Amino acid sequence: MDTPDPEPERHRWAKVIDQTRCIGCHACSTACKSENGVPLGVHRTYVKAVEIGAFPSVRRAFQVTRCNQCDDAPCTAVCPTRAMFRRQDGIVDFDKRICIGCKACIAACPYDAIFINPDDGAAEKCNFCSHRVDAGLEPACVTVCPTGAIVIGDLDDPGSPVARIVQRDAVAVRRPEKETRPKLFYKGAHQATLDPLAARRPPGGLLMWSEQPDVPHGVPAGHPERANSAVAVRLAYDVAHRAPWDARVSLYTWTKGIAAGVYLVGLLLLALGAVDAGSALWRWSVPIAALAAVAVTGVVLIADLDHPERFLLIFTRRHGRSWLVRGAFVLVGYGGVLAAHLVASLLGAPGASLRLSVWLAIAGGPLAAMSAVYTAFLFAQCKARDLWQSPLLPPHLLVQAVAAGASVLLLIDTLAGGGGAAAAGAVAVTGSGGAVAAASGGPAAAGPGPALAWILAIAAATHIAVALAEVALTHGTAHARLAAHEMTRGRYRRWFWGGLALTTLGALGALAPWLPVAPPIAALAGLLAFEHAHVQAGQAVPLA
Amino acid sequence: MRDPKQLAARVSAARQAVEARGETFYPGASRIHLAAFPPKERWDDWVEVDARTPDRRERHYMLVPTTCFNCESACGLLAYVDRDGLEVRKLEGNPEHPGSRGRNCAKGPATLNQVTDPDRILAPLRRAGERGEGRWAAVSWDEALDDIAARIRRAITERRGNEVMYHVGRPGEDGFTERVLAAWGVDGHNSHTNICSSSGRAGYHYWMGFDRPSPDYASADVIVLVSAHLESGHYFNPHAQRIVEARQRGAKLIVLDVRLSNTASQADHWIAPQPGSEAAIFLAIAHHVIATGRHDRGFIERWWNWQEYMAVALGRPGASFAEFEAELATMWSRYTFEFAAREAGVDAAALRAIADVIAGAGTRLAAHVWRSAAAGNLGGWQVSRTLFLLNALLGAVACEGGTYPNGWNKFVPRPIHTPPHPHTWNELTWPVEYPLAMNELSFLLPHLVGDGRGALEVYFTRVYNPVWTNPDGFSWIEMLTDPAKIRLHVALTPTWNETAQYADYVLPMGVGSERHDLHSYETHDAQWLGFRQPVLRAARERLGAPVADTRQANPGEVWEENELWIELSWRIDPDGALGIRRHFESRERPGEKLGVDEYYRYIFEHSVPGLPARAAADGLAPLDFMRRHGAFEVRRGIGPVHAEAVPAAELDDAVTDALGRVFTRAPKPAPENIVPVPTPDGDADGRRRAGIAVDGRVVRGFPTPSGRLELWSRTLAEWGWPEYALPTYIESHVHPRALAADQLVLIPTFRVPVQVHTRSGNAKWLDEIAHTNPLWIHPRDAARIGVDTGGLVRVETEIGHFVVKAWVTEGIRPGVVACSHHMGRWKLAAAGDRGQRQVMATVSLDREAGREAGRDGARWTMRRQHGVAPYASADPDTRRIWWSDAGVHQNLTFPVHPDPISGMHCWHQAVRVRRAEPGDRHADIFVDTERSRAAYRAWLARTRPAHQVSPDGTRRPYWLLRPLKPAREVYALPGAPDRKP
Repeated sequence: MDTPDPEPERHRWAKVIDQTRCIGCHACSTACKSENGVPLGVHRTYVKAVEIGAFPSVRRAFQVTRCNQCDDAPCTAVCPTRAMFRRQDGIVDFDKRICIGCKACIAACPYDAIFINPDDGAAEKCNFCSHRVDAGLEPACVTVCPTGAIVIGDLDDPGSPVARIVQRDAVAVRRPEKETRPKLFYKGAHQATLDPLAARRPPGGLLMWSEQPDVPHGVPAGHPERANSAVAVRLAYDVAHRAPWDARVSLYTWTKGIAAGVYLVGLLLLALGAVDAGSALWRWSVPIAALAAVAVTGVVLIADLDHPERFLLIFTRRHGRSWLVRGAFVLVGYGGVLAAHLVASLLGAPGASLRLSVWLAIAGGPLAAMSAVYTAFLFAQCKARDLWQSPLLPPHLLVQAVAAGASVLLLIDTLAGGGGAAAAGAVAVTGSGGAVAAASGGPAAAGPGPALAWILAIAAATHIAVALAEVALTHGTAHARLAAHEMTRGRYRRWFWGGLALTTLGALGALAPWLPVAPPIAALAGLLAFEHAHVQAGQAVPLA
Repeated sequence: MRDPKQLAARVSAARQAVEARGETFYPGASRIHLAAFPPKERWDDWVEVDARTPDRRERHYMLVPTTCFNCESACGLLAYVDRDGLEVRKLEGNPEHPGSRGRNCAKGPATLNQVTDPDRILAPLRRAGERGEGRWAAVSWDEALDDIAARIRRAITERRGNEVMYHVGRPGEDGFTERVLAAWGVDGHNSHTNICSSSGRAGYHYWMGFDRPSPDYASADVIVLVSAHLESGHYFNPHAQRIVEARQRGAKLIVLDVRLSNTASQADHWIAPQPGSEAAIFLAIAHHVIATGRHDRGFIERWWNWQEYMAVALGRPGASFAEFEAELATMWSRYTFEFAAREAGVDAAALRAIADVIAGAGTRLAAHVWRSAAAGNLGGWQVSRTLFLLNALLGAVACEGGTYPNGWNKFVPRPIHTPPHPHTWNELTWPVEYPLAMNELSFLLPHLVGDGRGALEVYFTRVYNPVWTNPDGFSWIEMLTDPAKIRLHVALTPTWNETAQYADYVLPMGVGSERHDLHSYETHDAQWLGFRQPVLRAARERLGAPVADTRQANPGEVWEENELWIELSWRIDPDGALGIRRHFESRERPGEKLGVDEYYRYIFEHSVPGLPARAAADGLAPLDFMRRHGAFEVRRGIGPVHAEAVPAAELDDAVTDALGRVFTRAPKPAPENIVPVPTPDGDADGRRRAGIAVDGRVVRGFPTPSGRLELWSRTLAEWGWPEYALPTYIESHVHPRALAADQLVLIPTFRVPVQVHTRSGNAKWLDEIAHTNPLWIHPRDAARIGVDTGGLVRVETEIGHFVVKAWVTEGIRPGVVACSHHMGRWKLAAAGDRGQRQVMATVSLDREAGREAGRDGARWTMRRQHGVAPYASADPDTRRIWWSDAGVHQNLTFPVHPDPISGMHCWHQAVRVRRAEPGDRHADIFVDTERSRAAYRAWLARTRPAHQVSPDGTRRPYWLLRPLKPAREVYALPGAPDRKP
C-alpha cells in the first residue's frame, strides 16, 4: 500500500527537549492526553524524574520521555502492515485502522515509546501531533510548555532554531548504540536520566508522590539492583511500562518449534535410515503432528493480536521487511508442504505418492528450518531487546526445535507402543481416525524409538549448553546482562532452571526408558518453560 | 482516508498565508512557520482533525476563552467547543492573555477532566439525615434559596448580621463577593489567608504598604526565591516562564528551601537551612551589603523612613543621613555569616557566596517569598520583611528587574454598584487579641465559637474545605456537627469535598469554564484584566441564542456564584426595604434584576481605560471583545509610581510636615484602579495625604504611614511590639532550642506541580501523576529509625499522630521531614459514591464516648477502609484507575499555631518520628481535641490584645489593609474612651 504523505513541503522534522528550561511540571503530559485522548495508564509522553547525589549536593533531573522520531525506526521496520510508518517529512506516524495489534513495534522500540490504546486496541505513540503540523500548528506539548522547553524545526533548514541547537549546542540522544538515528535531541539532559539503568528502583512500591504502577505484565522502571552509576541515583517518578509479549508468544515459539522439529527429525530419521518413507512415522506422525502444531501456532499468534479480526492484513497489507510477514509466509508455505505431504500419504499406496513426499522435503526441509529460525530474525528486529540480539539464537532455536520434535515423535512412538504399533498409535493420538490407521503400511523392523531418544539427548544437551552460556558468559551490554540476570537469577529464574532441569531429566529418561511417557513430556515442558524465561526475560529490562 | 494533501492545503496556516489573509499569526516557541494557535479571526469556526478518532475525523470548533480556576494564577484558557452538540472537547492556553501568554501548567489542560468528571455534583442537595451521615435528598434551587434567604434576612433584621459568614478559599475574583457582603451590611467575609500567606504579606505590608511583591523576574539579574515558583505558588506558570527566561539570559537563581523542590533543583545556589533561620541569613546578607558599601545610598536617603526612625525611635530629630548611615552600619552587625551559618546549619562560605551574588545584583534583584518559610514559622513575617530589606538596600524596588508592590501591577475596575463599608465588626473573624492580624483568624473559628464568642446562622463555605485544609480538622468536625454552633451550613462547590460532607445544603457551582469572574494579578510589570466566562453560555450566545441564566448552558443544574448572589440578595430583600436589593438592580432596566451581562458590560464600557477603544478597533462592543479575547492588557511598564509627581491640582492648600509628608485639602480624585490600597491618616487639620516631598518635588511615595519604605514600623512600635519594629530575626517555634532531643521538624506544606489543595482532585490526569504523600526523610534519620522507603512510620504531633509510608531521599535536610500537601483525601464510608473517587480513600471515623454519659469524647481515630479503586462510570477511564493509595491527611493532627502578630498559622510541626507500632496501618490518624484546645490557649496567651496595647482606643491600625474594610467608626474598641484615632 502507499504510505500516506500528507506533507506537501519537504521537511525533516526534529525536536529539541531543552532540559535546562524544563521545570518538570508535566504540562506536556496532560496536554498530550487531552489533544490525543490518551487513556489512563498509558502515555505518549511523560516526565521521568531521578534524584542524583547526596544532600546537600543533590538535584532532581527530568527527562521528557517519548517517541524519538527515529530516521531508522525499528517500529516501522518490524510493522507487518505499515500501520507504523515514516512520513517523508521524517515524522514516524501510525494508521490505527490497519494496526493488527501484534505489538512487534513495542517489542522493537528501544525507547518504550509505543503502547496499545485500550480504547481501540491499536498501537500508538507520540506522532509529533502530525494532525496539527499538517494544519499549520505546533504540537500540543510545544504550545502548552510554560518555559519553551520543547521546540521543533526542520533539520534541513540551517536557519531553524532547532537546527542551530542540534548542530551547535551540546545535545544528546537516548541510546545511540541502537543505531536508530533519533531526531529527538536533548539539551542539558543528565546522563542519569538518559540511561534507563542509571537510577535505582526504590523499594516499597513507592515513588516521590505516586505509587510505582503495579500493572499486569509490567516492567517497573529503574534498575532493580545495582544501578549503572557511581553516584547515588534514585528513580523519583516514572510511569507504567509493560512487556508487549506475554505467555502467548512464549507458547507460540514453542508450538512453532514443535511444528518445525517434528518434520526435521522425521527427515533426519529418514536420512539416518531409522525409518523409511513408507513408515507410519513419516507418512502420518510427521505431517499430522506438524500440521497440528502449525495450526495451533497460527491460533496462538492470532489470539495474541489485539485485533485478531485483522490478521489477514498481514498478507494483504504486507510489509516485506517485517519478519512477522516473512515468518507468516514461511509458516503458510510450510503448512502447504505439510498438507501436500499428508495428501500424498492419503493417496495411499507406496510408490508415487511416497516419492512425492520425499521430493516435497526439498521445500519442506528448508521451510521447516526457517519456521524454527525466523523468530530469531524477528527477535533481532526487536532492537530494544538486547538479550535477543545473540548470533547464537538461530542455531539455538533450531536445536530446540529438534529437541521438541524428537520429544513429540518419541511420545507418539511410545504411546503407540513402540515399534510396529507406532503408526496406529500415532494415528490414535493425533485422532485422525481408524480409516487412516487401516491404510497404514508396513512398519520398519526396528522402531524409531532409540534413534529418537538419541536425537533428543543430543539436541537437549546442545540446548542446555547454549542456555548455560547465558549464565556463564559476560554480556555485551548492560541491558543484555540485566536481562540474563532476570532470566537466570531474577524474575524468571524458576522458569529458566526448572525448564533446563526438566529437559535434562526428559533427555536422560528417554535414554533409559523405564518411564514410558514421562521423559518426552518432561523434555517438552522444560523447553516451554525455558522459552518462556527467554521470551519474558528479554522484555524485562526497563528501557525508558 | 481523506486525501491528506488536500487537508493540509485547506487548513494550511503557514505564516505568510495567514498574514496575507489578514489573520493573526501566533508564533510559538519553535519560531518557525507553524503557529501556536489558530488565528483568532477563525475562532468562530475552526476546522481541525480530531486525533482521538482513528480515522482522524474533522471537527468544527468554536474557540471560547476563559480562565483556569485551579491555582490563583488565573491563566488564560481557550475552550474548544464542538459546534455539533456544543461540548467542550479540550482546553488550551489563551494566547491573548498577557499573564500566561498562551501557556499553561499541567492543570490547564486537565480542566477538561473537571468538566467531564463523573463524580461531580450536578444538582442541589439537601441533607436528609444527621450532618455527616451521608444521606441526601434532591432539592430545587428555589427551595434552597428561599430557605437560605429567609434565614439571612432574619439574621439581618434581628441585628445578627454577623452570624452570616462567607468563608472562601480561592477567591478567583476581585471584589464581587466582598461587595455582596457589604450590600448585606455584614462583616461576614472570612478568607483562608491566615493558613496561607498572612505572614508572607505582613513583612511586605510593613515595608511598603502593599502586602504582596511583584518581582520583575524577566529583567532581573539575580532572583532570590524562598518559594518554589517553578512548580507552585502565586503565580506559578506566569512566573516560571519569566524566571526561566531570565535564567536563559544568564540571571542567577538562588533558592532557600529545606527540601529539594524542583525549583531548588534548578537553582544556581540552593541553601537548605534549618527551618526558621531564613531571616538570620537575610540579615547577615544585609549586613554584608552595608559593610561592603554596596547599598544604594541615594535610594535609601530618598525613600526610606530613616528620618522617622532617627526622630521617633532614637529621639534624634533632625539627624543627618550620615548619622543614620552610622546607625545602619551597626544595625545588624551581630548577624555575621558565622552566626547565620550556625542558626541555619549551613556552611558560612555558602552564605557569603550568595551574599556577594545578591550584592552584585544592583537594582536588578527580583525576590519572592510567599508561603514557605513565612507560612511555616512563628515570626515568619520577618522572613519576607528581611528579604525585602535586601531589595530596599539595593534600590531594587519598583524598577526594571526589581520587585514592585503588587498594587501597581494589578488593575481592579470600578463595578456598577459600590455599596458602603459595613458598619459592624465581626469578633469571630477579627478577635481583639489580634489587632495586627493580616487577615481573618479563620482557622481559629471552632475555638472562638467554642469559647462562646458567637455562633453562625448561615455559614457558606465556598471553594473552601476547612475540615481538610485547615489544621485541627476534628475540631472543625465537632463544630460543624453541632447545630447550636452552626445553624445552617451551605457548601458552594463543584465537587465533593471533606467539608461538604457536613453541610446542610450542597449547591453545585461551575468549574473554571462554567462561571463568570474578573481578576487581575501581578504577574509582571503591567496591568491586565482577565475574564472568566461560562464557555457554553458564551458559545450559545455567539451562535445567536441568548442565555439569561448560566444554568441553561452549564451541565445539569450547575450554577455560578455571580448569578447566585444576585438571586439570593433579591430573595433576602424582595421589596427593597432593607436597602440591599438596590445594589443588585439593573441600571438599564430600573427595578429589574441585574444580569451578569449588564454587570460586565458596565465595567468594560465604563471602568477599563482603553478597552472601549480597543474593542471598537475590532468593530466590537467591549463586552463582546472580552468574550472573544478573555483578557485585556490595560497598560504595561508601570514603573516607579512612588516617584511620580503629584499634579498641582491635587495639592490645594498643601502642607509638608517634619517627616516630609505632604497633606492637602484637594479632594481625592476617584481612582480608575480600585485595587485595595492602605489608608494612611491625614493630618490633624483634616487634610488628606497627597504624597511626600523628595528632592523638592511632591511625589506619590508609598501608602505607608510615613509615605516611605518603612525600615522602622511605628505601627509595630506603638501596637505593643517595639522589639520587632525593625526587621529582625524571631526564633521559630521549631527552632532547635525549642525541640526535644528526639524531635524533628515536619514541613507539611510543600506542594507538587500538578495538584493544588483539594481543588484538583477531580482531574484524573493529575491524580494519575500525583496521588500520595509519603514522608520525605533523609537516609540518616531513616537509618536511625530503621525504615526504608515504603516502610511505615508514626509521626507524633502535639495533639495526636498519623501513620505514613517513608520516602527515603537525599533531597531533604537531615533532621527535617516533609510531607506534601494536597493528598490524604477521604470520604466517609457512609458517603457511598458521593466523593471524588479518583483520589479519595474511604475511611471510618470513630469518636470515643465521653467520660460523661451522653457526651462525646475528644479522642478521634480515622482508619482507611479501602483506598482508591477502579469503578464503572460514564468515563471508561475510571475502570482503569491503577493507583490505590490516596496518601495521609496529616493536617488533622496539627494544632492551631496562630502567630501573635500576623495571625498566620505557623505550619511547621515539632514531631517525633518512629517506626509504626504493631497494628498501625497506613493513613491511620489519632487526635485528642482536648489537646487541640490546650494548644489554642497556649498560643492565644502569646498575644498582646488591642485593649491592652492599642495606642488610640481602636481595634486595629486603620491604615492596614483589611478585606471588606468596615466603616471607620466601628474600629473603636467597645468600651474604650472615645478617642479620635
